[in-house]
Amino acid sequence: MSASYKPVIWNRTKIIYDGVLLAGIVIYILIFLNLGPMLSPALRDVDPPIQRMRAFGSLALLMLTIVLAIGPLARIDTRFMPLLYNRRHFGVLTAIIAATHAQYVLGWYFSFSPTPQLTALFTSNTSFTSIAGFPFELFGAFALAVLVVLAVTSHDFWLSFLTPPLWKAIHMSVYFAYAAVILHVALGALLDRRDLVLGFLSFGGLALLCVLHLVAGRRESASDNAASATTPDKPWIVVGDVSEIAEGRAIIGAAPGGERIAVFRVKGGLSAVSNVCSHQNGPLGEGKVVLGFITCPWHGYQYRLEDGCSPPPFRERIRKYRVRLQGSAVLVDPEPLPLGTRLDPVAIPAELRASTAGNLGKA
Amino acid sequence: MQRRHRRVHAAIWTSLAVALPLLLAIIFASAPKRPADAPAIRLDDQSAEGGKA
Repeated sequence: MSASYKPVIWNRTKIIYDGVLLAGIVIYILIFLNLGPMLSPALRDVDPPIQRMRAFGSLALLMLTIVLAIGPLARIDTRFMPLLYNRRHFGVLTAIIAATHAQYVLGWYFSFSPTPQLTALFTSNTSFTSIAGFPFELFGAFALAVLVVLAVTSHDFWLSFLTPPLWKAIHMSVYFAYAAVILHVALGALLDRRDLVLGFLSFGGLALLCVLHLVAGRRESASDNAASATTPDKPWIVVGDVSEIAEGRAIIGAAPGGERIAVFRVKGGLSAVSNVCSHQNGPLGEGKVVLGFITCPWHGYQYRLEDGCSPPPFRERIRKYRVRLQGSAVLVDPEPLPLGTRLDPVAIPAELRASTAGNLGKA
Repeated sequence: MQRRHRRVHAAIWTSLAVALPLLLAIIFASAPKRPADAPAIRLDDQSAEGGKA
């Protein structure tokens, strides 16, 4: 989180993340170019520039598949959550690798074209009426254009300028870019040569991503539909029992409209806030309280417990909700309070605190 | 907002999971087949033309 815009706010985690990523890219390219020709006759019989374009093309597909798998994996198993932290750098590097592939293609096939390279690319194949002969280059160009736009707009400046809903909507176009990449590979490389490894990477990756996204979506949908029980004392809803909340952590309830509410327990008090981080809609209730601040598990954005505002100089805010205890049941009024409303945590009675403290260890 | 986002997300992936395998099946089914009586040595083999990217 930042109060001013800098190209990248580096920290140790980001440096390690990017270091591992770059090392992985270098290792893949070296293995592909050096071991590939030894293992595959298809690579041995082609020129080095073609080997290079295949190396970068297949790497772009692999990286895009991994980028798209990180989100649902983190939803299904929280151990994948650290991969989300710097996913944008992963995406930007994917766009750079894809652009390098395109550069090799233009340089090899259209170097001596009498027309400009891009014109030649778009006019060299006009078999629009053929299915198998359809110009696969168009799908690749479309996917690359989307990846470049997403890479350029990945900075928090654009997130703030475009607002999170619009930014999110634009960045969901990466799914269509992925579909275009699959068609590009199928119509191009896979029809041209029956490459087992590339086929597995394309079709296996597609199957894996569809399963992961649909399973994660189904679980989320089930949580949405299981709205928290209402009480006779409407509009209050029962979010859970105070004994279920570990110190510094939260339980998550769902308002009748489906919006989720997180109730945090800190130092004998309960505070209810929206489960939606104002940065990128991260699930705040799956985060924890760090140094007295609710901390989003995705990118570390922080909010005060008492008013849902980020500490100065930051300006992010989330909505707060009224919370109360009925016995040990935690009740929340699903009507959100205006942004910035100050509401002190509700104290957990001493006897409840004592009886529930041992149920769950400290987070 | 999370809920709407999730619905759109689920709709997109359901469509992709149905449409992409169908399109791939159509593409590979419509690929030109080499006739049974085609000569064994051909000029359009990979080693002859260098192949696509």
